[in-house]
Amino acid sequence: MYSIGLRYCGGCNPQIDRSKVIKKLKEDFKKIGMEVDFTTDRQREVDILILVNGCMHACLEEEYVGKKHNSQVIVVKGEMVDNQYVKEGHIPEFLSKKIIDLRNFSSHSRCLPSLCDI
Amino acid sequence: MAMMNGREYIESLRTMNPDVYFFGQKIKNIVDEPMFQPHIHTAAMTYELAHRPEYEEIMTATSHLTGEKINRFTHIHQSVDDLVKKVRMMRLLGQKTGTCFQRCVGLDGLNGIYVTTYDIDQKYGTNYHERFKNWLTEVQKNDWMPSGAMTDARGDRSLRPHQQKNKDTYLHIKERLDDGIIVSGVKAHITGAINSHEILTMPTRTMGEGDKEFALSFAIPSDTKGITFVFSRQTNDTRRLDSPLDAGNPKYGIVGGEAIIIFKDVFVPKERVFMAGEYDFTTELVETFAGYHRSNYGGCKVGLADVVIGGSYWTADAHGISKASHIIDKLTDMIAMAETCWSCTLACSYEGYKTPSGAYHINPLLANVVKLNITRMVYEWMRLAQDIAGGKIITLPSEKDLENPDIGKTIEECFVGKEGFSTSDIIKMLRLIENMSVGAGLPEAMHGAGSPAAQKIMIARRSGINRKMELAKTVAGLNKDKYFESIIGMDENSHWDEVKKKIKGKKVQIY
Repeated sequence: MYSIGLRYCGGCNPQIDRSKVIKKLKEDFKKIGMEVDFTTDRQREVDILILVNGCMHACLEEEYVGKKHNSQVIVVKGEMVDNQYVKEGHIPEFLSKKIIDLRNFSSHSRCLPSLCDI
Repeated sequence: MAMMNGREYIESLRTMNPDVYFFGQKIKNIVDEPMFQPHIHTAAMTYELAHRPEYEEIMTATSHLTGEKINRFTHIHQSVDDLVKKVRMMRLLGQKTGTCFQRCVGLDGLNGIYVTTYDIDQKYGTNYHERFKNWLTEVQKNDWMPSGAMTDARGDRSLRPHQQKNKDTYLHIKERLDDGIIVSGVKAHITGAINSHEILTMPTRTMGEGDKEFALSFAIPSDTKGITFVFSRQTNDTRRLDSPLDAGNPKYGIVGGEAIIIFKDVFVPKERVFMAGEYDFTTELVETFAGYHRSNYGGCKVGLADVVIGGSYWTADAHGISKASHIIDKLTDMIAMAETCWSCTLACSYEGYKTPSGAYHINPLLANVVKLNITRMVYEWMRLAQDIAGGKIITLPSEKDLENPDIGKTIEECFVGKEGFSTSDIIKMLRLIENMSVGAGLPEAMHGAGSPAAQKIMIARRSGINRKMELAKTVAGLNKDKYFESIIGMDENSHWDEVKKKIKGKKVQIY
């Protein structure tokens, strides 16, 4: 099963509702019938790691970005995902597309459903 | 070319020939005029300290474009550490000069335009960012000081730029050519303008579709044909012609040597144009620049506070009252306020973030909080400095009277302080406090980088008030509190029903 690791920042004063964003992401994958194992990278190696930072300061970035990982890393930092500005309401959809794109380039051979099915 | 030192910077100005007017006269040579020398010395300090090993760590950086060592005033911030070092540099220079050292406006313009041109190119497929980097490489290589020309004359502020009766109240594109643009208009009170090598312009406000020709940013040498400067008057400015003692801060002057810049049919080559009509990016450029610039004030003005606090304590000591409890109390208040502003500017730097361009930006909410605090606290700590120094700061005799053979000795004997403090030194220090606390420095602290209303707009915009309301609703019990329910192991209503039952049934000790 495709695995996605989640790491949350400390959430001291977030600009976005981090839990809500991830909850919506999970719901979207369920809707399109994509089986995903959401876990943390502390438990086991994952295919994709999502750093869920509540603001652009992105406290988690220093620990992860620029260092060698076996997983692909996507950084949510407030209303920014990697290097693009994304409004809070659109983050789940943006993440879904990004994950599916990464998945399609990986070694898994299974044909994935399209986001249009959401 | 290596970084210039202070002397070399001053000599570099001699090779330029800007068109400067002051007191109704066209100035032939700004470098040797006593009216301009103090603030030229101040700008020179930003060059001088970069060559000192004891300050190199914060005054210099490594260019991400060339890998060369550069003056930090030409650097694009590549990390949170760079943002922190920038404000440390501001405090240091404030301490060394006791006034505005001018070069930070250009630095913030460099960073603001770097961030915004990247984003413009992403949307429109233009090549502004590449052009800007090419020009920036020259800035770094030559160690130029660009002035940051943002504020326009603005005319009737109830009207948009394109609605103004006189279009020149805002700098604008008059004509577009294949190899560049022709511009006209007036930028008003630009810091360090006459002693800068280049002028780096930015739009002063959010522009709409009708204002396309005003959505403009470019760089041009200060002595380009068609550019005229009118140097501004400031409180007690001609004192520097009277004598060093009367001037107060004779070495470094008052504030930043502002000037009006008049552009009349100035040709700007294409490679130096960084925005020309992309009005939907004016807000980003203005706010990005303003954020950087407002964050500085918790550094530079705190450096000035260090000087005036030291001067106030010295003065109290010279008069034999430094141990008085009310003096210590006032000094403590001044220090607390200054360090509050310092904490805030450190916070906005440490909370900085990486933009899509790769450059780092400060936390905008905290940057505006810094500046808003400065607009209030500077007035308060300068008030306390005046309180400690006494009314003498506005009633002192002139140096000429001190030197007069008939009355000078009497004055010297009257103004003597505690043993070991000369009259001349006491007057020098009182004049410094007068220079810093009475006059142009205060409005500069108020309005530089934007007036208090501008900060309040930005703070309100970024307040996250809706989120704060949700927090209050959860704690007050209007919203479900899942963490509380996890603690008590049931839903909240059932919990309160249980508690009520226990109290009613006297099943608890206190009921």
